[in-house]
Amino acid sequence: MIRAKQVPLVMEELTDAEELTKARAQDERFEQNWAWFEAHAAEIYARYRGKCLCIAGQELFVADTPEEVLALATAAHPEDDGRFTRYIPKERTYRIYAH
Amino acid sequence: MRIDGLWHLCDDGILRPVIHGEILAGDGSWVKAPLLVDSGADRTVFSADVMEALHLQPIDSPDRLSGVGGAAASVVVDTQLRLTHDQAGKAIFKGQFAGFTEVEALDMSVVGRDILNLFALIIDRQGDTICFLGQDHYYTIGKR
Repeated sequence: MIRAKQVPLVMEELTDAEELTKARAQDERFEQNWAWFEAHAAEIYARYRGKCLCIAGQELFVADTPEEVLALATAAHPEDDGRFTRYIPKERTYRIYAH
Repeated sequence: MRIDGLWHLCDDGILRPVIHGEILAGDGSWVKAPLLVDSGADRTVFSADVMEALHLQPIDSPDRLSGVGGAAASVVVDTQLRLTHDQAGKAIFKGQFAGFTEVEALDMSVVGRDILNLFALIIDRQGDTICFLGQDHYYTIGKR
């Protein structure tokens, strides 16, 4: 649960064909990284609690901060705009998405 | 419009509803991110690791975030979130989004009701379905 004042958002449709093609290519790269992450998730969760992760080029990068892990991943795979980051909580606990 | 999510096994062994999206960064690129589908969240919030990748300038805002654990350090940014819909297109959500500045505050970004209220939301574990329905899509409830 997150309590916050709601600010209305505007929804639009992306119609630019060139931008759509670019977005789909990025989606494919992301999905490859996501599939790699899902296949290795159990091992990653067990080994890297309290760490920041980035998956890029279907490769795992680990550091203490988001800034550090993004630097590592971007240096190794500068072309991969399908990269993504995660933080693995220090403790394995049930969550109600509070903070 | 139909936007599909998926079930993701999290670090605590719990399957949670997640959607994949991308957020517009300060340099004009799009940053990919998984987002928890959270109907209990009043608004969409980006985790600190995603905020770091975005390099967005926070805007002045009195808005604060709080949850069961109390308030946590956060900022507000003006940007866009894109989600892929069933016709291989992209829905774009423009406006102000909140973000945490400490990684421990949130392990995954969340899609909240500022976006979910624009759709009918289905989160059905038994039916293995997570989707946002709007415009030309709708659902009906039947009895077996």
